[in-house]
Amino acid sequence: MDLSLSTRTEGDRTVVTVGGEIDVYTAPKLREQLIDLVSSGNYHLVVDMESVDFLDSTGLGVLVGGLKRVRAHEGSLRLVCTQERILKIFRITGLTKVFPIHASVDEALKASD
Amino acid sequence: MTQDTGASAAAAHGAASNDVVTIKLPAAGAYLSVLRTATAGLAARLDFTLDEIEDLRIAVDEACAMLLTQALPGADLECQFALGPDSMRISVSVLTQDGQEPSRDTFAWTVLSALAGEVDSSAGVDNRVTIGLLKRRSGSSS
Repeated sequence: MDLSLSTRTEGDRTVVTVGGEIDVYTAPKLREQLIDLVSSGNYHLVVDMESVDFLDSTGLGVLVGGLKRVRAHEGSLRLVCTQERILKIFRITGLTKVFPIHASVDEALKASD
Repeated sequence: MTQDTGASAAAAHGAASNDVVTIKLPAAGAYLSVLRTATAGLAARLDFTLDEIEDLRIAVDEACAMLLTQALPGADLECQFALGPDSMRISVSVLTQDGQEPSRDTFAWTVLSALAGEVDSSAGVDNRVTIGLLKRRSGSSS
């Protein structure tokens, strides 16, 4: 299975919807997407991971990289995820303390920076 | 003609046997999804729980992803699954340039060691680097 990506704008935020498997093979596609968004001035990102079937540490690295980039522009990167098996990976690595993780895109869009 | 149901087939085959399954793949990221699927299939055969199967899928993926970064061009990734009555011992290995064992100071190692149970790594004289995992089924006594 491959990785699917789509983006849309909601006010001053950009929602990136990710689906499929994020591993060493597909993660570069997500990395490029995040870099493109930041390069074109989108500094407030919401990454919706509800349709992600698999995430490993390569994917975590890409998200951390994205967070560093938006923070360099005083931006934000919020995650939407309720899947326990995905959340577990964030918990193991302590990244639940680094990323704001929301239960829905609506909740992430309403959150103040 | 066999009369085994799924459960009795697993009991008849899984509990008594010490089968070893070896899978050899090109050391390329594109094949990791294949290996994850095989891992899940073998773990299911040993009656691991769904959570344990998911843990193993991720652990094997992490171990292999680490090895891929240092694999010699054109090398194969070798994965051996030793199926025990209540555990699975997996070793993944690849030929590398310098025989460097993977750094333990990474997200990948953190995830691997948290999910796999017991983990070790070693380097052979031919610069083959191996990562070993041992996952016990929940409820197993040893």
